[in-house]
Amino acid sequence: MIDKFLLAFRDIRERKARSILTVLGIAVGIAAIVSLMSVGYGMEHAITGELTEMADMISVMPGELRGGSYVEKGSFTDRDVSDLQRIGGIKDISTMTYDAAEVEYRNKRVPIFVLGGDTKELESFYVEPVGLKEGRWLRENDYKGCVIGDRVANDFFDEVIHVNDKLVINDEKFVVVGVFEKGDMLYSNDVDSNIFLTLRAAKEVLQTDEIKYIIVRVYEIDEAERIAEEIEERINDNHGLDDFANAMTMGSMIELMGDIFMIIQGVLIGIAAIALVVASIGIMNTMLMSVMERTHEIGVMKAIGAKSRDVLSLFLLESSMVSLVGGVIGCVVGVIIAKVLSFLGSAASGLEIAAIVKPEVILGGIAVALIVGVLSGFYPARKASKMSPVEAVRYG
Amino acid sequence: MIHTENLSKTYRMGEVEVQALRDVNLEIKDSEFIAIIGPSGSGKSTLLNLLGCLDKPTSGAVFIDGIDTGKLSENGLAEIRRKKIGFIFQQFNLIHTLNALENVALPMFFAGVGREARLKRAEEQLVKVGLGDRIYHKPSEMSGGEQQRVAIARALSNDPAIIIGDEPTGNVDTETGNAIMDILEGLNREGRTIIVVTHDAEIAARAARTKGMRDGKVLD
Repeated sequence: MIDKFLLAFRDIRERKARSILTVLGIAVGIAAIVSLMSVGYGMEHAITGELTEMADMISVMPGELRGGSYVEKGSFTDRDVSDLQRIGGIKDISTMTYDAAEVEYRNKRVPIFVLGGDTKELESFYVEPVGLKEGRWLRENDYKGCVIGDRVANDFFDEVIHVNDKLVINDEKFVVVGVFEKGDMLYSNDVDSNIFLTLRAAKEVLQTDEIKYIIVRVYEIDEAERIAEEIEERINDNHGLDDFANAMTMGSMIELMGDIFMIIQGVLIGIAAIALVVASIGIMNTMLMSVMERTHEIGVMKAIGAKSRDVLSLFLLESSMVSLVGGVIGCVVGVIIAKVLSFLGSAASGLEIAAIVKPEVILGGIAVALIVGVLSGFYPARKASKMSPVEAVRYG
Repeated sequence: MIHTENLSKTYRMGEVEVQALRDVNLEIKDSEFIAIIGPSGSGKSTLLNLLGCLDKPTSGAVFIDGIDTGKLSENGLAEIRRKKIGFIFQQFNLIHTLNALENVALPMFFAGVGREARLKRAEEQLVKVGLGDRIYHKPSEMSGGEQQRVAIARALSNDPAIIIGDEPTGNVDTETGNAIMDILEGLNREGRTIIVVTHDAEIAARAARTKGMRDGKVLD
């Protein structure tokens, strides 16, 4: 058996350039799959990691997340909030309100979203993950203070806004007490283009009692699902609607993220799979050429006693060995690329992404390479084995 | 013993049918040394291929030790080739990625003989044909005569009863050709049946019996 390997190995070595190209073809396909999967797992882990820190939180919205965008169906009322306070297991409820407002700075007016809520909640929600570049966060009694996002400070107006500068929001004067850092991928939407006020100030400035967002904190994380359901029921009852309130636990949020990632991974792997198909077509072509070139040699082997099966296994062994080497190289290269991509991804998004190389992925990569080698080598090997010795011997 | 009964072979070359052999009836006894001589196109190579079980008849039969080769499967033919027949070709037909030792061991490899036994016997064979000091050389590193001797050693690999040579001296000079015929005579003395095809009358003369061929027929 070892001798079959040696024989196959000699033949591969004889056609170095061609063998190397075939190996490269497989290596590229496998490297793509391995690196994409590893980076994918790393990203998923990084993002869900951030989310698990808020595991005891339920976010309640008067609308639905549909296909990646939020469809608002109305707003909550104070009655909704007091009803929620009666549900068992709830540690804390805080509300937020937001709306567009006209903001003026040094004679330029721009519409900007103003967000008001419980200062402690907002602090753990936004200030802790994103951080402040200048100044300080809001205090409960900051009646006329505001904290602005990075884009508000730097992009929306003609001049850069700093702490102690004065803004006019819907004709009311406010003082900037703090400026946010630029938010990373997860937070930039919520933070960069917004202005933050206390709940009281926001309600006044926006002239509204509408509650656009409720955050509920529970005592027991295991209870979260049950409590979320009850929240939805009670609010829906209040409004006489069926599908109005949407209470999401962190658990379901993490699940949602997981699903999204699987879809993205699926697409990327689909692309890598196409690369593999191309590689396997390459192998089949290479093997066919090899068989054609060695027609004479095959005839000689049959003349000296080789059975059809001997010829078949010889060629199959060759294509398997080539693709196996390609698979191993692909895995190694894939891991290296994964680490590089994670590094770049971390830098670009501000998240700490570390590629996660799972053993199943490596084993899978090698297995796929081997299968590709056997499948694409089969037709040429069969052709070789069926050659008539007479034709073959005469060919030379 | 080998004999043929009304052996015929027709080839199809594109649209044209070529009758290479017509009703050949030939008998070769055990341990005979026979040469078949004829011009190009006489069908001698075709006859050789059929006797050597590389191909099957279109009609008629080839019997080797009483077995009708036309009734054998591909694997059956391969087995006869492996066990009873040793081939020598005009162009040597050695595998150029392997050295002399490995080339001679190859038939034994296909016969399932173990590695050590193979290589030992291969070396013995090479010593017998006078190439004991070239066993690790590749065909590209040898002269024509040396390559043909390796081919003979290879043909003897599985200790066949029949040696078939298709113009075995065609690609070498006269002196080497004679040396090769010497080896074949030696093998004949050992009791093997030797069948040689040639267009060279001098080479044919060294066989015990000569048969001529023309246009697919064996002449009396």
